[in-house]
Amino acid sequence: MAEFLQAAIIGISLGAQYALLALGFTLIFGILGVVNFSHGGFYMLGGYVAYSCVAGLGLPYPLAVIVAVLATAALGWVFELFLLERLVDDHLATLMLTLGLYLVISTGLLTIFGPLSMEFAFPVTGALHLGSIYVPRENLIVLVVCLAAIAALWLVLFRTDLGRGLRALANDRAVAMAQGLRPKLLFPLAFAIATGLAGLTGALVTPILSLSPGVGDPVLATSFLTVILGGLGSLEGAALAAFVVGIVEAFTSVYFGGSIGALVLFVLVLLLLAFRPTGLMGRTVRGA
Amino acid sequence: MKCRLFAAALCALPVLPVATTAFAQNCELKIGAMGPMSGGAAQWGLAMNSAAELAAAEANQEGGVKMGGKTCKVTVVPYDSKYTADGAAAGSNALAAQDIHLIIGPVGSPEATGIKPVAARNEQVAWNAAYAKNALEPKFPLMFHIAPGPAAWADAVIKRAKQVFPMKSVALIAPNDQGGTDIASVDAEAYKANGITTTEEYYQRGTTNFAPIVTRILAARPDVVDTASSPPGDAGVIVKQLRLAGFTGAIGRLGGPGTDEIIRVSGGLDVLKDFYWFETIPTGDPKVQAIDDEYKKLLGKDPVGGTAVWADLPAARMTLKAVSIAGTDDAKAVAAALRTLPVEDPNIGKGYWGGKKQFGIAQELQFPFGIGIIKDGKNLGVERQEPKPE
Repeated sequence: MAEFLQAAIIGISLGAQYALLALGFTLIFGILGVVNFSHGGFYMLGGYVAYSCVAGLGLPYPLAVIVAVLATAALGWVFELFLLERLVDDHLATLMLTLGLYLVISTGLLTIFGPLSMEFAFPVTGALHLGSIYVPRENLIVLVVCLAAIAALWLVLFRTDLGRGLRALANDRAVAMAQGLRPKLLFPLAFAIATGLAGLTGALVTPILSLSPGVGDPVLATSFLTVILGGLGSLEGAALAAFVVGIVEAFTSVYFGGSIGALVLFVLVLLLLAFRPTGLMGRTVRGA
Repeated sequence: MKCRLFAAALCALPVLPVATTAFAQNCELKIGAMGPMSGGAAQWGLAMNSAAELAAAEANQEGGVKMGGKTCKVTVVPYDSKYTADGAAAGSNALAAQDIHLIIGPVGSPEATGIKPVAARNEQVAWNAAYAKNALEPKFPLMFHIAPGPAAWADAVIKRAKQVFPMKSVALIAPNDQGGTDIASVDAEAYKANGITTTEEYYQRGTTNFAPIVTRILAARPDVVDTASSPPGDAGVIVKQLRLAGFTGAIGRLGGPGTDEIIRVSGGLDVLKDFYWFETIPTGDPKVQAIDDEYKKLLGKDPVGGTAVWADLPAARMTLKAVSIAGTDDAKAVAAALRTLPVEDPNIGKGYWGGKKQFGIAQELQFPFGIGIIKDGKNLGVERQEPKPE
């Protein structure tokens, strides 16, 4: 029973982290129609910006996280406005552009910081022990911040005019533009929100795990897997799928080992694609 | 004053190229340095590069390497083989395209598997540092081995560890590819031979969060967890999450070097607390440590790769010595010259050619090695162990 509860706690914690990544990834696809291959790069960059603020500038960690979010959002905004925007409807070009940006970010970080892991620790350590069950304090904080960020994103998208505009562009760009919505203003903003979320996840998670120029590689695979499971472009689907992925990964790894855990996730996605190609939410969400 | 200095510097500019190239500009000898230079195992690949750079700088300081009546400047061409078989195979081809016949590296078992047939076809000498069960094979006579795998030293490390950390059970954790399973399975046999029960846990390379696997390991209640050949970055995260989960037993490492990285990622000596590990060479020896000073003196920067640089250096030095003896960089001639050289390094000491017993071909360097102990958060250093000739 203790193992079962422990696996559930780990699964929820993983799910919240995956949700932040997947929401950003699916937001970009849903609104711009771009598969963002640089998502892992913004995750890494968030971690390195936070690390530099703490270790280099001596800023308190919470402030460093905010700087990381703003920096990754700003880079995302600039990248979309000056590069991606020109070719936003050319899927192959945007794929190459985002992949290129990932390589630039990872090589740049490797050149500046070197290949070894940084000494970057979360300011709160230790765990709450309830019998044989434990909950790391840092994971609890990350979980709360992740859930708050997800709630804030939901409020922005579903309770503000900005969110309505973004969703309108996602549903039908031509009609939305006819109503006066301006993609040149809203696309960079959507991209910035998404990359800011990736930066936030990087700033929160890398001190708990590790920070080196290779940590962005698995992020893209996880984000992709999650949004496919949830339904490409569906925000609700991505959030739901993130928790499914986290919980499945935790339970299969605990009960069947690390190799089987990874295999089960991909088999799950294969089965879903075979029987329900539109993902968990089961509808085509992007018509633009 | 500034103007005078600037003028003097300008006057010196035309002289500089002459000064730097006068010693050995008849020709150039390019050697390859291969291994993972990014990702969790980057430390090991960069160590190969640093070792090759130092050996090249030493040779250049002596005027270069003599080949066919010419004196050649040695330059190093690095290649990131990413700890993958295809990466190493592609690396062999990429280096062959630059007319490079001598490769210091690669590192991991998947890389060794990938490079062996391709390097044989390209006629390249390569020095792998893999702990694979088939790191050497008689059918690939141009392949050499930098250091022996756990079959040669695991028993000695376990016996010493048992004295410091009494143990009845151990859980081994490693990646689920050849780089992990080949080492963890040999380690497990060595633990069993010492009366210790073992469980083996494998994970997908690229895993970043080990919390579920840590939960699974702790359910078996082992006295010790051994990170075997997990990359140092992964091992650091595993240690961190084990301690968070309340594991108080010792951590072992019967695998590749990387203790500094493990200490850094896990959160320091206080987190690591009780730890024992294998070192390819006796890193506590001041003569061995002096390698870093020499690197800095010759290359003007610190080497990258930690203690693995020291372990890889003899292979690079011996290769250049063999080129001088052979008078060519032809792989077959260099390999023949290498086999005639005694296993000896000015910093590390004397060793032996080994590998005949395990691989059927005696092309493995067996130097003194080390056993490191951290007890109650205090680093007790690395004890020197002498190798036994086969």
